[in-house]
Amino acid sequence: MAGDAIVAEELTYRYDELVAVDHISFKVAEGEILGFLGPNGAGKSTTVKVLTGQLQPREGKVTVLGIDITRDPEKVQAQIGVCFEITNLYEKMSAEENLKLFARLFGVSDFDAGALLERVGLAGRERDRVEEYSKGMKQRLMVARALVNRPSILFLDEPTDGLDPASAENIRKVILEERERGATVFLTTHDMMEADKLSDRVGFINQGKIVALDTPHNLKQQYGKRALRAQIAGPDGGLESREIIMDQPETVEAVQELFGQEQVVTIHSEEASLEDIFIDITGRGLTE
Amino acid sequence: MSLRRVGILLGKEFRHGSKSFIFIIAIIMPLVLSLVLSLVFGNLFSEKPRLGVSDEGNSQVTSLITESDSIVGREYDTPEKLRKAVEDGALDMGIVLPPNFDSLAEQGQMTEITAYVWGESLAKDRLVLGTTIANMIRDVAGQEVPVEIVTTSLGDDESIPWDDRILPIIVLLAIVFGGIMVPATSLVDEKQKRTLSALAITPASLMEIFVSKGLVGVVISIFMGVLVLVLNQAFGSQPLLLVGMLALGAVMASTFGIMLGAFIKDITSLFAINKAIGILYYAPAFVYLFPGIPQWVGRIFPTYYIVQPVVEISQQGGTWSDVAPEAFILIGLILVMIGIVGILAKRTAQREALA
Repeated sequence: MAGDAIVAEELTYRYDELVAVDHISFKVAEGEILGFLGPNGAGKSTTVKVLTGQLQPREGKVTVLGIDITRDPEKVQAQIGVCFEITNLYEKMSAEENLKLFARLFGVSDFDAGALLERVGLAGRERDRVEEYSKGMKQRLMVARALVNRPSILFLDEPTDGLDPASAENIRKVILEERERGATVFLTTHDMMEADKLSDRVGFINQGKIVALDTPHNLKQQYGKRALRAQIAGPDGGLESREIIMDQPETVEAVQELFGQEQVVTIHSEEASLEDIFIDITGRGLTE
Repeated sequence: MSLRRVGILLGKEFRHGSKSFIFIIAIIMPLVLSLVLSLVFGNLFSEKPRLGVSDEGNSQVTSLITESDSIVGREYDTPEKLRKAVEDGALDMGIVLPPNFDSLAEQGQMTEITAYVWGESLAKDRLVLGTTIANMIRDVAGQEVPVEIVTTSLGDDESIPWDDRILPIIVLLAIVFGGIMVPATSLVDEKQKRTLSALAITPASLMEIFVSKGLVGVVISIFMGVLVLVLNQAFGSQPLLLVGMLALGAVMASTFGIMLGAFIKDITSLFAINKAIGILYYAPAFVYLFPGIPQWVGRIFPTYYIVQPVVEISQQGGTWSDVAPEAFILIGLILVMIGIVGILAKRTAQREALA
């Protein structure tokens, strides 16, 4: 059984009076992808900064790869890869130079920049200055940079935010490859579809607190409602919508009644999305 | 602190930081000022008269010529080579000394020596060389001239040549501008572009990053300081001590540059602050520029302790005992500033993460 790559206990961070992260506790298993979801300002990036040793927690304890992050952040940082939300590459250098610089700092001796750039779809552009890259290319290079030391944990802060579908898909592919390799992935995003697709578990954070944490399936089971949505022919020849909530005592009767008494034009089942669940739990949307 | 990582970061600074505007200015500005100073006051291009000698015997005059400080003396194997050098303008004058020249001179016998003169040589140089040759031959012949020249300075005997007065400001410019501005702009630039956060998440500590940037400033400072002194022929008789004092000054300037860089958020603010306090960096130079200003005024400013030892060694022949007090004050200032940088490093790490 896999151990825990990250353990946060009562983790708290305050910016002066504002509590950004409020006594949150969670564990991330080795080799797991944890999607950390929440609207802007919910505390996602602050949590990442504490977990990666950039900020010192005001309260609580964080253990990463069995190391207390407050005691030995450098030791942790040598084994993790971080892809920041905001692009922070050396724009006057080429992609290859950027990666080689970081590989040397991490002490990676057998580093192959070409192979890594090929993985993120930047083969053939390795010698171009980064300032000539598009946003999608820069973001893919940011992900590549986070991988130079073959990290045990990969922290990705909104890695596909604002990207074209092809770039976003490329990054998702790399995330899954890293999980295959055995890396743990801590993915913050407000893209529910992405989180649903990639994550083994998702955690919802709102106003600094974790309000739900489970597999997408269990969350849908627990909080979502399944329904049948039908369109029936109306008396005036138009179409009317009907919704039947499933898993209720009266569901079977309602379905029989629908087919017995109405002329059903279309019918399909509907499953709650993570966004629906988030709104249900917090009363606010992810893009707020 | 890992020296390997500092080395990697230092390499990055030199490869990529050397293309920055400030880096280029730090090198060009002192050079341009030195050249202007040299042209105006005639240090760089006012060459000494050049005298060549081809000795067919083994005359002491040859060694007197080659060892002379007041002329440039060169020895040639054959009279033909000597003649060719004069014809090409490599020498202002060339003389061929016959065999047994010294004994003939000592005996007071009339001896003929061949002298070649370059047609385009300056009249004053020909005069200086003619007199110098005559004096050297008199020395060898043992004929002491029964004359003692007593000199009397006229005008303001306190006056200091203008090139000596201006040199301190150029030295300060070379050391202080490169030392402060190169590390400060590099650090602020990394903060603005957020690459500092990316570096800080690697095993490289913020102190290692600061040290690598500071070292770039130190290297530029020392290099420019030495170059300016060489260009102005002001290296003095204690070159190692001079380089040592330049190095201390460079370390102080660079540490201050890192302090500024760690404290200031953006390039615009850095330039604004530098403009506001820049006069303080160069203030001690005014004490040398205008000798009427009391020396204690200069002592108020930390950069005085950079420039004073340099002036003392290069212009006044100072030794370690003369400059030791300034050296210890410099070391004290550096230690205080390193302490402040240590505190700022922790603050900067948090501020960067919060940005």
